[in-house]
Amino acid sequence: MPVELAFDFVSNSAAADVLAARRGWSGFFTFTTLVVILSSTIRLAVPYIFAAIGESIAQRSGVLNLGVDGVMLLGAFAAYYVTLETGGPWQGLGAGLTVGMAMGVLYAFITVTLHATQDISGIGIYLFGLGFSDLLFRQLVGTPIPIERFEGVFEFIVPDERLDVPYPNLYNHSIIIYLAFLLVPLAWLTVSKTTFGLNIRAAGENPEAADSLGVSVVRTRYTTIIIGNALAGVGGAALVLDKGIYFQNITNGIGFIAVALVYFGAWRPLGVLAGSLLFSLVTSAVLEWRTLGILTGAAAQLTEMVPAVITVVALVIVTRRIGQPSALTQTFSREINY
Amino acid sequence: MTTHHLRRLALAAVLAVIGLLATACVDSNSAAEIPPGTLRIAIVAPSASNDRSFTQSLVEGVKALGDRVQYVITNNASREEAAVTIRDYAKEGYDLIIAHGSQDGGSLQEIALDFPDVSFAWGTARDTFGLDNVYAYTAASEQGGFVLGTIAAQLTETGAAGVVGPIEVGDAKFFIDGFEAGVEFQNSAVDVNTVYIGSFSNYSRAVETTKALIAQGADILTSSAQIAVGAIGVARDEKVLWLGNQADQSSLAVDFVVASQVYRWEVILEEILDSIEGGVKGGRAFTITLENGGLEIVYNNAYDLPADVRTRAGEIASGIIDGSIDPSS
Amino acid sequence: MKLLEMVGITKHFVGVLANDNINFDLNQCEIHTLLGENGAGKSTLMKILYGLYNPDEGEIRLRGETIEIKSPSDAIRHGIGMVHQHFMLVPTLTVAENVSLGLRSSRHPLTDLPAVSKRITELSELYSLKVDPDTYIWQLAMGERQRVEILKALYRNASVLVLDEPTAALTPQEVAELIHVLKKMAADGRGIIFISHKLKEVMAVSDRITVLRDGQVTGEITPAQTNESQLAQMMVGRPVQLVPDRPKIKLGEPRLVIQDLYVDGDRGDRAVVGVSLEVREGEILGLAGVSGNGQRELAQAVAGMRNVVSGTVKVGGKDTTNKHPKVVRQARLSYVPEERLYEGTIPSFAVSDNLILLDRRDKRFCQYNFMHFTNIKEHCLNLVRRFLIKTPTLETTTSDLSGGNIQKLIMARELSGRPKVLLASQPTIGIDVGATEYIYSQLLEQKADGCAILLISEDLDELMVLADRIAVIYEGQIMDILDHQEADLEQLGLLMAGVKENVPWLHRQMAQPLSMA
Repeated sequence: MPVELAFDFVSNSAAADVLAARRGWSGFFTFTTLVVILSSTIRLAVPYIFAAIGESIAQRSGVLNLGVDGVMLLGAFAAYYVTLETGGPWQGLGAGLTVGMAMGVLYAFITVTLHATQDISGIGIYLFGLGFSDLLFRQLVGTPIPIERFEGVFEFIVPDERLDVPYPNLYNHSIIIYLAFLLVPLAWLTVSKTTFGLNIRAAGENPEAADSLGVSVVRTRYTTIIIGNALAGVGGAALVLDKGIYFQNITNGIGFIAVALVYFGAWRPLGVLAGSLLFSLVTSAVLEWRTLGILTGAAAQLTEMVPAVITVVALVIVTRRIGQPSALTQTFSREINY
Repeated sequence: MTTHHLRRLALAAVLAVIGLLATACVDSNSAAEIPPGTLRIAIVAPSASNDRSFTQSLVEGVKALGDRVQYVITNNASREEAAVTIRDYAKEGYDLIIAHGSQDGGSLQEIALDFPDVSFAWGTARDTFGLDNVYAYTAASEQGGFVLGTIAAQLTETGAAGVVGPIEVGDAKFFIDGFEAGVEFQNSAVDVNTVYIGSFSNYSRAVETTKALIAQGADILTSSAQIAVGAIGVARDEKVLWLGNQADQSSLAVDFVVASQVYRWEVILEEILDSIEGGVKGGRAFTITLENGGLEIVYNNAYDLPADVRTRAGEIASGIIDGSIDPSS
Repeated sequence: MKLLEMVGITKHFVGVLANDNINFDLNQCEIHTLLGENGAGKSTLMKILYGLYNPDEGEIRLRGETIEIKSPSDAIRHGIGMVHQHFMLVPTLTVAENVSLGLRSSRHPLTDLPAVSKRITELSELYSLKVDPDTYIWQLAMGERQRVEILKALYRNASVLVLDEPTAALTPQEVAELIHVLKKMAADGRGIIFISHKLKEVMAVSDRITVLRDGQVTGEITPAQTNESQLAQMMVGRPVQLVPDRPKIKLGEPRLVIQDLYVDGDRGDRAVVGVSLEVREGEILGLAGVSGNGQRELAQAVAGMRNVVSGTVKVGGKDTTNKHPKVVRQARLSYVPEERLYEGTIPSFAVSDNLILLDRRDKRFCQYNFMHFTNIKEHCLNLVRRFLIKTPTLETTTSDLSGGNIQKLIMARELSGRPKVLLASQPTIGIDVGATEYIYSQLLEQKADGCAILLISEDLDELMVLADRIAVIYEGQIMDILDHQEADLEQLGLLMAGVKENVPWLHRQMAQPLSMA
């Protein structure tokens, strides 16, 4: 199949002939496809950003939460159900946040107060979220029904017809997508420039040192765990409010990939953002291959493995552990170490 | 330390119990007292009764039978759950057990051998395995697909239609093949982009694929099976036209659903029940068609379809019924 | 009025009475030393003072008033500061960030690091504690980290300062500076509690000495009234021979020859840079240096546990460079590693299992792949008796033993094979005086037997006592090798700090606190 490498800058006003001629690889290297891929990259990255930024904050304080995916599922269901019942995506978002915070309190109680092993507890939270979200869905809803989504910000600002701007897909996203990208500098600011951020980093690197200076490791970790889980809940809500639908295990492992992205991003918000974007770029490129008929049948089925493969490859390439909080997964207790 | 251990143990136990509860959930609505002469039907379905597509079409068909039957249904059954449930229903002595889903054929064949006195039906399929207690039922969904295809070819402004397909088998494939043939028949300049997402239930991928199809220019879409519900939400939000299949999907996107091919299973269910009451437990295959009224194109009144398009659709349907048009060509 | 009084302090841990009705007091302008073996209860007492542990009984009075200290924040609020044995610093934060940790910022919720840095600079000039506030802790040498710890306390206006084993990781020069700074801080009206088991320093720094043994006070004395060996006896409870007699041995052939060795560290850096050493039959070669200067990598490379980049290692004339540890062992090299619990033993194994770890394939202990328990038991009982290992049973889990007894266990295992070469890394670090005395005698016995010993240690006194020659390693390079007669502490200290030439002006500078690298 001849591959046309030059991007076609002609137009994105898709006409029949354009589309018909642009199936396969020649359709892939067009400006239209570039815009489609970039815009869905931005959109698909959002749940990863919320979940991974949240997880990175918790990990900076020394707490690993492998239950992110379970919390996302619960947040996703809560957001779906509340939006379905109230018709308002904002209410749904709030529900996702609330459920995430509640799971945060639970996880903090288990790992910080009861000193339970973090990795096993996290798996427990995941399994709980997976099973419980499905139970609630079957009992309360039963079948997927499309819900209201956030409108693009343009419709939000100018509630009229489509704006006459080039490539609106690139920036006419829902408000939640802008919130996700805003979260990145906010997380950086919090961790790097505030006294609370100093406490977080100290609790994650050397909790004994933090404790010896009167910093409450328990309170710090409770707070970061609640923030991390709340953001996981919001990530799940963002996923549901983007897809407009809910079904069993809708996250399909996003939460686990988010944990991997924290390592990939070396615990820095910008690194996590880069990882999220890279990941969703590959996902959306693969999706576009399927749409353009480049991948069909068994080859298309194989692409289901792509996320897992990229995760492993990326983690192998990024083997540097510089930046890993020294006290990650270590429970803290004053007298128990004796 | 020991109190810590105890507390941890207690917590683990609570989590485990909740987890078990969550996975062990199966719906069952038991039948009340049964008037004499009423047939008892049990249905095992892969999705919910209100899925706006595959399962809903059958449930509505059974309901249309009125007082003639009493029915129970197990929803959202995986293949493994379906096998167990079919056997349980067979033991409980139902008059007819319907395995709604072509994936359950294998289990059904085994169970039907073990219960020669019980009638079974499964679909969509044409194969009764040579057993005289198994009915098969299917839909000639390519017929309505063809009609909807001709509508799509007339309504598209970009000259591109999109199809979000599940897996390239059975009923869904017939429908999509018919749709493509219909578009080609009406206007060969119109392009149909069909993407099979490789799943009946991955709504999320259906959503993304729909978005990609629209971004690539498609302005009228259709789909088949449960995933349609995910895709139709996108069509609604992106304001592109939709053609429904299996059940009337107008309510899901009131302004954008043009028409739906609706399955009326009651047409053949009547025949199956007559046959059972006549002492025949199986061995026959049934198909719903435009001709026998099992398939019907239902138009959405809220959408203002140009009269000529509607007339043309009517002509095509008549042509299929009288054999002058072959929808599978 | 006393600045601080701790009255009748008692603290139990599961099965252990760590502090038994201890009374302790401190005056203004005083340096009061708490002296005792590991496990005598010094650290527990101080952790109670700092709010890390809550006492079962007893009370704490500050300037005559009874106070309650439930947490470090309470301690800090009452003006009590503590420099912990293991520095309580966050390596990935800067000096200023570490100092400001836990304090309310003037720009809350944002940090106010410039203001903190300014105050740190003022304090460090006042007390000659030079340190750059914007440097990350991981970039600092141990001595500098300690200055940061002291600055943390000063920044919080501590009137009582506790220093727990502050000299463990310092060069002699740094110890001298520390003593100087402490005296100045005491002179300014503070009270200082100094914890140590190094008798020489204690004699030099203290105004008063309280000795603890097994959780009880065994004596209170001033340096003028006592001497080192009396203090040792108060600590251990019996007379101790601090300086053993060295046997006069005629040195034989070279047994361990290291030539131009290059070894990489864990982070891919070059940890050992062109090291050449030779240890002869009957010789103890000491390797001095501040830890982290390549000693660990050198030892592992010699033992066959780390790859050699270039150069050769010969054990008993046999080239063992980059050979499997098994081959190195077969050349009759024994290795006492620095990480005694995790590298030297399998902590969860029974004492007897750890004792036969090397000889487990020996015909005596293993027949047709089955263990011969009678022989093993007999052999182990023999070793336990000979090496004075204090263990309840042979089946006791190794990690339950004290550090000294674990070290004796390792020595027993390693020496029972009568090695030709012994590689001993920090054999007495963190071990009490009694066990140290015993390990010294074992090392000297091996020497008398003709074993060639490479003794890696940070403790210069130990090297001066045991070694025939002392090599000094700094940043992976051998700075110099001194004969035991000609070596003096000051010279060794300079070499350990990387100063090679005997330049007079450098001497002057080194007498002042170490400046930034």
